[in-house]
This record gives sequence, structure tokens and C-alpha cells, in this order.
Amino acid sequence: MAESICRNLRDGALEGEHAPALSIKDSIATPFGSDVFNYVLTKLSANILAGKSQSKGIVLVAFSRSPSFYVDFLKTNGIDLVSAKKWISILDCYTDPLGWKDSLKGPLDTKNFSLKDPIEAVLFRHVRNLDLLFSAIIEMGEALAGQGKGRFSVSIDLVTEMLRHASLSSVANLLSKVRSHDRISSTFWLLHSDLHEIRAIAALEYLSSMVGSLEPMNLSLNGQRGDLEKLSLLEQNSRKGKFHVRIKRRNGRVRVMCEDFHIEQSGINFTPVSSEEGIINQGLLPKVQFNLQLSEKERIDRAKVVLPFEHQGNGEPLHIYDGRRSLSEGKDEKASVSTENLQTNEDSGKGEIIYFRDSDDEMPDSDEDPDDDLDI
Amino acid sequence: MAAMKTRMSSFSRNTSVAPVPQAPGLKSGPNGTIFLSSGIPDLDKILGGGFPLGSLVMVMEDTEAPHHMLLLRNFMSQGLVHNQHLLYASPSKDPRAFLGTLPSPVLSKDDRSHNRDPEQLQERGLRIAWQYKKYFGEPQPNFDSHRDTKHEYCNDFDLRKPLERHFLTAQNICCLSIQDPPNLAAFRDCCAKFLAQFSRNNSSISCAGRVAIQSFCAPQCEYSNMEWDMLSFIRSLKGMIRDSNAVAVITFPPSLLSPSSSKRWQHIADTLLSVKAIPDEDKELANLLTGYQDMIGLLNVHKVANVNTQVPVILEATTFSIKLQKRRHLVLECLNQAPVDGSSGSSYASTGSCSGSTKTGTLDF
Repeated sequence: MAESICRNLRDGALEGEHAPALSIKDSIATPFGSDVFNYVLTKLSANILAGKSQSKGIVLVAFSRSPSFYVDFLKTNGIDLVSAKKWISILDCYTDPLGWKDSLKGPLDTKNFSLKDPIEAVLFRHVRNLDLLFSAIIEMGEALAGQGKGRFSVSIDLVTEMLRHASLSSVANLLSKVRSHDRISSTFWLLHSDLHEIRAIAALEYLSSMVGSLEPMNLSLNGQRGDLEKLSLLEQNSRKGKFHVRIKRRNGRVRVMCEDFHIEQSGINFTPVSSEEGIINQGLLPKVQFNLQLSEKERIDRAKVVLPFEHQGNGEPLHIYDGRRSLSEGKDEKASVSTENLQTNEDSGKGEIIYFRDSDDEMPDSDEDPDDDLDI
Repeated sequence: MAAMKTRMSSFSRNTSVAPVPQAPGLKSGPNGTIFLSSGIPDLDKILGGGFPLGSLVMVMEDTEAPHHMLLLRNFMSQGLVHNQHLLYASPSKDPRAFLGTLPSPVLSKDDRSHNRDPEQLQERGLRIAWQYKKYFGEPQPNFDSHRDTKHEYCNDFDLRKPLERHFLTAQNICCLSIQDPPNLAAFRDCCAKFLAQFSRNNSSISCAGRVAIQSFCAPQCEYSNMEWDMLSFIRSLKGMIRDSNAVAVITFPPSLLSPSSSKRWQHIADTLLSVKAIPDEDKELANLLTGYQDMIGLLNVHKVANVNTQVPVILEATTFSIKLQKRRHLVLECLNQAPVDGSSGSSYASTGSCSGSTKTGTLDF
């Protein structure tokens, strides 16, 4: 659920642990990843402004949208930008990522942000050099969070763009350095899952502690649907979808959640799942055996069972359990019961066996009743 | 009947092959192998004694859960407690920091005996009414008088207590970070140098070594897209290990490799384990398995090393649940299906109604 993700990001990192990291994945079937990203950004900003979150500021690394977009967006969503320079700064990798505009010195309109703009936006021109990017992020963050132990959050607009300019291992290196830095409280990023190889997606999921993926409402797998049906499905998918979240918890379990979302004029809305489809974890079910072990209670009960023909070994007179009486019948009855039983046994044995030994040199062992070994 | 005459044959069993290990923490096993403990008593039992010297153990991680760290921690701690040399490599910047999280062995007797008692009760199994039983005295305690942890083959580790400092500052630990180097040549040389200390010859073993490599193909390492290089590294490590009195444990997340690479790595291992995460608060799983509340993950044993023998080890069960007893001790248990409720079990309803399904008229049995 989106609420729990935002809560997770708000709570931030514990001492000595990696910062929580959220990966938002979308695809062309549900291209609303940026809406989810904006939603998370808004929530985190609100939490920072209200002082409820661990982090003191956000460093937004903008690859796919310009800083002015973010200024407008935050304004329209009711985030107060008066003191914005104290808690948010944008690393602008959108305007001139590779420094081309800069090298074409001429009458180009290099519109930089003037001082009266509400958010501090620093132009970054070397997206291929991820070490430089990392140090720029840290520098900006430390400026926001102050000199002490204050922490800040990092959000990356589009990791897909980063992967265009740099190799997977260097991007992974950067993300893991971000996560393990002791001044970073939380981090989140967006990527388009259909633009990458499976290995790249797997690597980014490996590095994140929460994965939110957007999926279309109904996957139209049946290719024989009519055109009208397809159109209606497309229309449905154009505004709604499912948001699946997998959160890696500290105890090693994974929390799997699912929500519906729909896009409206004002933004994105999350609602709990309308139809209950059981998530069957078939892959996880191994061949289980039947329960052959006993719980404590069962073990105690077993110890209490009086086996027939067994010398209980506790000095009591022989008590042959005939299965009809329960053990809870008083011990004073036991003496009378045992004599009764012995008599009935004698009475029931009416026949006699007469045995003539075949020869004298027969081994004496064969005479012995094999039941002698039993403790009757 | 005629008594069996003992046949005198010209073959005699050669029993004096394996050198008796004098170093602590080693135990000899069948077929001339020498085992060292994995640090987890249940795992040693499952694998038939432990990890054989000279073998390569690979653990397939689940990207969603850190259970491989638990296995590594116990493995490394056990080595340090037995004064064995350790080489630890990880993709983090500061691998030494991980040593601070190693667990300490449990020393108090009360904890141990409490853990052992339910086991002993179960080992009684069938109660046979046998008249000679009354001649037995009190059952002998299983462990001998020397409970000195130095001589114990496998310790129970308390995951909440960190290992004492004096173990960590010893000279026999080598830590490496494999994140930065662009290729594996330096790492391979380091391993070769480390393993040269324990090369095998026919004399008795003075010391054994442990190599622990964590998350070998982690994406933040520079070499992680050079799949053939990584494979050739593992191959050469396996060759070096075979020739020395050491055990190497490598953990890797198989989903980060290409499928063919992943298969190759799985085949190259002598012992292959995998850990899996379980979903949290899953009602279906809770109904299906007993003890779901305490489980933190699943462990699968895919392959067990068979050294010096052609007879494979076939385990009764290959999937175990990982539980933390009292949040301290790592325990592996067989998975048990919870008793199925007769009225609601859907999978059983179909098999139960065998009479109802045959409506074939005349031949009704």
C-alpha cells in the first residue's frame, strides 16, 4: 500500500543499516510511474515540512523533467515553497546532461535559474561521470541537512536515463553507495521496466528494499477478443491499474501487498483491492511431509498412555490395560481391577497344549517361549 | 541349521587410511574425508557431518532476504572459534565491519541441555516392552565432561551476542573488498596466497582454512558483467581448494546472472544450498505449514558433496525451514504439513469421493 511505503520512507534508516530504498517500476501498459513518483515526493515533502520524518531535506536528481516542472507541481499540490531552499534542492540533469549546450558557446539562451526562484537548482553537466554525480548529491544534501548528524533523502527521477549514459555496474555502485551512506535517510527512484534487460531490473530490485510495480487492471491475454473489447480495456487501463508492492522486512520475510489506483485530474488515488484474488504462492510450496513430529502437548499425552503388557517400571503392581477404562479412574480401584483381570484371563484360557519333545538333543532354546523376552 | 563359516578371503578391509585429524574442529568422516563444521548443528547433521575439506560450497541467495548472511556468519564464527584461518571477501567498502556482527558461541550448559532434551525424548521412538530395560540405569548424558568449546566440533551460536574481540584481532583473518577492482586477477592472487598455507600433503593437518565470499556477482562490482571471467575465477578457486585443507563458501544471487551462467555455477559447486524468503502474513501458508509464525525463511539442499565415492547422498527431505529460536539460535527444521481439516481441505475432497465419481451402472463395486 502506498501509505506504508511513504511511512517507511518517512521513518528512514536505523543506525548502522542501509537506508530504505524504493523502486517504482512501470511499463507502457501502465505509464503512470511518474504519477506515483510525484505522489511519493509530495508525501515525503509534507512529512519533512511537518517535521515528522527523519530526513531534513530532499535532493532531487532530475533527469526527465525540468526543475520548473517540479516547482509548479509542488505549488499546485499545496506544498509551501516559501522556505523551500532549506529543505529541497534539485540537481538538474535534464537541461544539459552531457554539457553540449555549454560547449556550443554562442547566442544560445542559457537560461539559468535566477536567484528569486524558490528552489535551488544546480546544473549538472557530467552525467557520465557517476563519481562526480555522487559527490554532487552528497554536497547538496549536506548543505540541506546541516553539519551535524542530520540526514537527507535522495530521489532520482529516472534511473532509466542514468542507465543510458552509464553502465549497470556503475549505476548499481552509485545506488549502493547512496544507500549505505550514513547521512542518507531514504531514497527512491523510478524506472521503466520495459526499457531494460531482465538482468538490469533484477539488479535494481536487488538494491532496493521496496519494489512498487504498476500493472494494468486486467491483462488481456486472450488474443481473441473483439476490437471493441480491446478498446474498452485500453480505456480502462488508461486510467486505472494495480499497484503491487513487495517490501523486504528486517526479519527476512517479504510483505506482498496490492492496491488499485486510478488517475484523476488532481493526481493519483489509491484504493484497496476491490476483488479478492488470492495470491497463491505456488513457487514457494515445496514438497511437504506429513507431520511426524509431536508438539509438547502431544508428547506429554503419549507419555501418559499406558501400553498393554508393559512393566511400567515404577514399582506398581501389574496392571493390564484393557482399553476400556481410562487412566483417571482412582488408584484405589487398581488393586481390585488387577485381580479381576487376572481371574478373567485364567478363566478364558480353557484349552491346554500338550507337547512331546521330539528328541533329547534338541537345543533347549526351542523350548523357551519367545514371549519370555517381553515384560508381561 | 548349519553355522556360517567365516570365509577367509584375500581381501581385507583397509581401515587405516585417513590421517587422524589433530587440529581442533575437524572430524573424520566416511571414505577418508575430513569434515569441518558449518557452524549450524542442524546443517551438519543434514549434510552428514559438515563440509568436507577441499570442497566448494555455493549458496544461492534470494534477492529479497538476507538469510545467506546468517549462514555465512555462523560459518565464519565457527572458524574463528576453532582458530582456523579465514579469508572474507565482500562487495562492501568495509568488510571488516561485518566481523563485528559475528555471533558468539553459547557457553552456558543450561541453554544447551534445554535444547537437547526434546531431541532426546524423540530419539526414544518406539517404546518396546522389553524386560531387560529395567536393568538399565539412568541414561548416560550424551556429552562428555570436557565441554570446553575449543574441542567441540560444532558450536551453537547466539546470534544476539557478538563474538569476543580477541577472536577478531587475531592474525588469521584476511578481509577483502571486491567492489572496486576492475577484474578478478588481484582477488585470485590473494586467494592463491591464502590457500597456499594449507596445501595438502600426507602429513597431518596442522590447520584448516575457510574462505567466505559474499554476494559474488553483486551488481555494484565492476567485474559483474564479465560472466566468463567470474566463471573462470570460480573454476580456479575450486582447483586451489581441492589441493588444500580448506573449504570455500560462495554466496551469489542467481537472478542477477544470465540463466546459462547461473546453471554453470550451480553445476560447479560440490555442495549447493539455496535460501528463500517467505511472504509475510500469508494466511494460506500459515494454514499449510506448522510453525509458520517462527519461520523466517526456507533452506533447500540441492546437492551434497560426495568426495571419494560414487555413491550419491540422497536426503530424505531437501527443504527445511529456517527458524530463530528465541531470536538467538539458528535452527533448521523439516517442513511439516499442518493437519488438514477434513471438512475444508479442498485438495483432499476430490480424492475422497471415489465412489461418487463412478456412475457406470452395472459394474459397481
